[in-house]
Amino acid sequence: MASRADLKGKGKAGKGDDSKGTFIKSMKQWSTWCMKKAKVATQYGFIPLVIIIGMNTEPKPSLMQLLSPV
Amino acid sequence: MGGVTSYAAAPPPPLPLPPPPSAPDASATHDIEEKDKEKQEPTDWLNLPCPVPFDELQREAYTSLKPELFEGLRFNFTRPLTQKFSLSHSLSMGVLEVPSQTNEVFKVSSSHYEFGANFLDARCMLIGRMLTDGRMSARMKYDISDKLSVKVNAQLTNEPHLSQGMFTFDYKGRDFQSQVQFGNNAFYSANYIQSVTPNVAFGVEGFWLGHQRKSGLGIAARYNSDKWIGTCHVSSGMLSMNYLQRVSDKIALGTDFLYNSSTREAVCSVGYDYLLRHCRLRSRIDSNGCAATYLEERLNLGVNFILSAEIDHWKKNYKFGFGMTVGEL
Repeated sequence: MASRADLKGKGKAGKGDDSKGTFIKSMKQWSTWCMKKAKVATQYGFIPLVIIIGMNTEPKPSLMQLLSPV
Repeated sequence: MGGVTSYAAAPPPPLPLPPPPSAPDASATHDIEEKDKEKQEPTDWLNLPCPVPFDELQREAYTSLKPELFEGLRFNFTRPLTQKFSLSHSLSMGVLEVPSQTNEVFKVSSSHYEFGANFLDARCMLIGRMLTDGRMSARMKYDISDKLSVKVNAQLTNEPHLSQGMFTFDYKGRDFQSQVQFGNNAFYSANYIQSVTPNVAFGVEGFWLGHQRKSGLGIAARYNSDKWIGTCHVSSGMLSMNYLQRVSDKIALGTDFLYNSSTREAVCSVGYDYLLRHCRLRSRIDSNGCAATYLEERLNLGVNFILSAEIDHWKKNYKFGFGMTVGEL
């Protein structure tokens, strides 16, 4: 009897652990996916973002000023 | 000298005027008066000056003693488009040192071009740099309020698992500064520095590296006065002390000592920093027998010619570099 209760208890605890474990795993996978996408976005998009911000703040430089080497 | 009293038989002359101040006398008396004031003014313990951030504890000594030495050609061109926005182009042709197991130094020729965009505002700073080999570095600093600021720093590469990122939150109090950092590879660190007298500041730091299960604590002290700056930083396994003496506003002499307890190695270096009208010359020699010099000569407004040399007879490593920097005022 006690052993059956123990088994039941362990079974329930096991299921609880599994749900917590899967939750943590999914959180880690989601955060890793986020970090990978953020890294690609930063690598390709940060410098264009800085250029867009710089071109749109007062005084606004012209496109020729951006592209000409002088 | 004025204030001559006349000995004529006229009515008694008025009180003699004080002598008109001749320059050395006046400044000498002024300096003595200031020093007296400093001694006499009691320290206002509730109104201490704000210390430098913990990361910049040893900044003055390291700027003077450890300039950015390089090897080969370096050409930097900064083109400001507006007061806040500028583009930078940087070309570097030289050699890279490849770390090797033996004592020999292996050098590999390399060259790269770096394009950068900088945006500097009163509240926000954005700096991005992209190299031809795919590496990219992005830095952002934003002042959320007068006292709180956030910094993000990322070094990204195309190779997997070699990218790094770091978030930093800084809080600046009236007489203290604190900082919390989160980085990749589960890196967490915090530090705190507090002024205890108008010249002395103490700081503590702690960090934890999750993936390598390393942690460390450190303490630091800094004495800052007009004439000299001394700092001492003890952290897990490393002791670093330095001292910088400002002989005049053009000449600074410094010395630096670093001890690594895990490898039982100590290095001491002595150097000078001359800030002259047309050039800035920084040289040092250290206890490994390595002598280094860095010269920045100002040819014209915004045009600097730089020379760098590092000679290590022990390891037979000789590095010479030259270059030009255009556009940085």
